[in-house]
Amino acid sequence: MDYQAMLAWGLPMGVGLAAVGSALGLGRAVGSAMEAMGRQPEAAGKIQTAMVVGAAFIEALTLYALLVFFMLFGKIGAQ
Amino acid sequence: MSLSRRSRMLVVLFVLFVPVLVYASEEAPKGGHSAGHGGTPHIPSVVGMLTGNDGPIYHWINVIYAGVVGIFLSVIAITVYSRRKLIPGPFQNLVEMLVEGMYNFLHSVLGSDAKRYAPFLGTLFFYILCMNLMGLVPGGHSPSTNINITASLAIMVFLYVQYVGISRNGIVKYLDHLAGSPRDALSWSLVVLLFPIHIIGELAKPFSLAVRLFGNITGEDVLVAAFVGLGLTALSFMHSPVGFPFNVFFIFLGLLLSTIQALVFSLLSTIYILLMLPHEERH
Repeated sequence: MDYQAMLAWGLPMGVGLAAVGSALGLGRAVGSAMEAMGRQPEAAGKIQTAMVVGAAFIEALTLYALLVFFMLFGKIGAQ
Repeated sequence: MSLSRRSRMLVVLFVLFVPVLVYASEEAPKGGHSAGHGGTPHIPSVVGMLTGNDGPIYHWINVIYAGVVGIFLSVIAITVYSRRKLIPGPFQNLVEMLVEGMYNFLHSVLGSDAKRYAPFLGTLFFYILCMNLMGLVPGGHSPSTNINITASLAIMVFLYVQYVGISRNGIVKYLDHLAGSPRDALSWSLVVLLFPIHIIGELAKPFSLAVRLFGNITGEDVLVAAFVGLGLTALSFMHSPVGFPFNVFFIFLGLLLSTIQALVFSLLSTIYILLMLPHEERH
């Protein structure tokens, strides 16, 4: 198997796995935020802000994987 | 003949939506050209089209757009400041709303030190926000899609945070904090381990700041461009000069993400400054 085939196999799998991990993490974070908002509706504004910030952090890790994908994407067709 | 309320709302929505559709459709042929070259798709900007996407001026495109953002923000600030009245007009009111909102947000994190650091952090937020949104304006290009721009901002934040730490705490307390505050024999023996770990942690912060902003904005840019190409392909069977405007929905996503990333960058910088300030035992 030459490196282009391995890249074509590995890159999308990498991004897909990163998406799975990030979906699990985000699901937990947003779920706890919903639960907290249900317990104390008057704190909903603060909880929502904290949830958005936390989601941005988790998202950033997925984007590192996407970044590597774009860096290596050009090499697949290169002769 | 006067329209009913519902009809008037529909007309307004239609009038507002049609330019968006037209812009989205017009972007498709231009985007389609660059998608054919292989590599990541991107939508050309005004400066790019003027310089032919090549040449010496095109290399400075990020600096040009960053300069445009800087000049835009400076003009707004100088105009509002030089024409300020006690009872504000609408424009001054809007700017005051934004500045005060930012200051209150920083105050809720930093406390009484907010006044000292608000200029830096507030400017950081608005500068990054305008840079991100520049990519969504028709004919604009977002400078944050270049790792050099985001890295320079992150390095500036890093140097400023270290300066705040050293100037507010003194060099001895600063090094003491980096070494993990050794007090007894056990902590002193761990200094050799903790010192490099803390230094690596300090260096990882600007790295993650830069890559997070760069990755998010590039990702949203490439997403919009890819869907422009897709829209063009979708209507290629009838050789239409315009494409189906798939990318409209992703521009809305881009609006949301740009704002969130600007907020996260400035909020993280605020928290790093907060961690450096002298605090009571909080570990």
